Amino acid sequence: MCSQQLPTTMFGPDGEAALVQAVGDVAERSFFAYAEPCDRARFTELAEGIDRWYSASIRFEEDDATGVVDCLLPGDLAAELFDAFSGRDPGDPCPEPEAVADLLGEFANQVCGAWLTRAANRQTFTLRPPKVVVTDATAAVPRAAMITLALNDRPLAVNVRPDAPGGAVGAA
Amino acid sequence: MDAAITSAASRPVNILIVDDSKMMRAMIKRTLGIADVPLGEIYEAGNGAEALQVLEGQHVDVLFTDINMPVMSGTELLRTVAANERWRSVRRVIISTDGSASRRGEAANLDVRCYLEKPITPEVIRDVLTAVADDDVRS
Repeated sequence: MCSQQLPTTMFGPDGEAALVQAVGDVAERSFFAYAEPCDRARFTELAEGIDRWYSASIRFEEDDATGVVDCLLPGDLAAELFDAFSGRDPGDPCPEPEAVADLLGEFANQVCGAWLTRAANRQTFTLRPPKVVVTDATAAVPRAAMITLALNDRPLAVNVRPDAPGGAVGAA
Repeated sequence: MDAAITSAASRPVNILIVDDSKMMRAMIKRTLGIADVPLGEIYEAGNGAEALQVLEGQHVDVLFTDINMPVMSGTELLRTVAANERWRSVRRVIISTDGSASRRGEAANLDVRCYLEKPITPEVIRDVLTAVADDDVRS
């Protein structure tokens, strides 16, 4: 996540701290959930046996950098966040997949926006429509740039993928 | 306080919610129900262009809009509203993830009454609607 050519407030340790803080604020205020950083070992433990994951990705374009923020979370956590945000009663019919995707897109949108507001507050930024896909456990293997957290004691990984400095803005 | 605002506070308030997330619109709509404000019609739009279509055909007292949306952004929408005399009385509130200083400065030039930064709690939306309906909020 670090680069000598990318702004350190966004992609250095300060940027990582801002990202963790952003996830915490989004979780608490919008989803009534509690997020805390967790190490890779704890994340792997929490992720064990989960084979259905969602990946919600959002492209950001800002004066100093462009890239993509990915949020990776298991299906049961997605359902929990959906109920918290929508006020859905557990006894209600299951939400449509499109509604869950919309909700997870909004989650990624808020995380990315809150991070950029903290890490690059001087400039406006543009967020493209989020993309949400169902994926499998291979996506949840922690990679170097991933920030791993526990959200309501469930695994959540956030990954920032900056475009190469000076590179063209491409598709997410 | 002008006549339009005085009368709006004493009659049902028509609201337009503009956000490309249907879930976010539903959350805002649900929250409006707990505000101590008589609600009239609540309209929804998925982007600025759809919002303008609603404004063309309906009377709207309060406009809640996101900024980053496809087709037409909230900033473009607010510029159009600000430039049109017939929508002068529409009270405008931004609900956006973009809390940057420059975006807030931009909003100040578009006669926006209040700038809410996501993530926000339902109570904040409730309080802002109550205040805006009473015309107590100034950006």
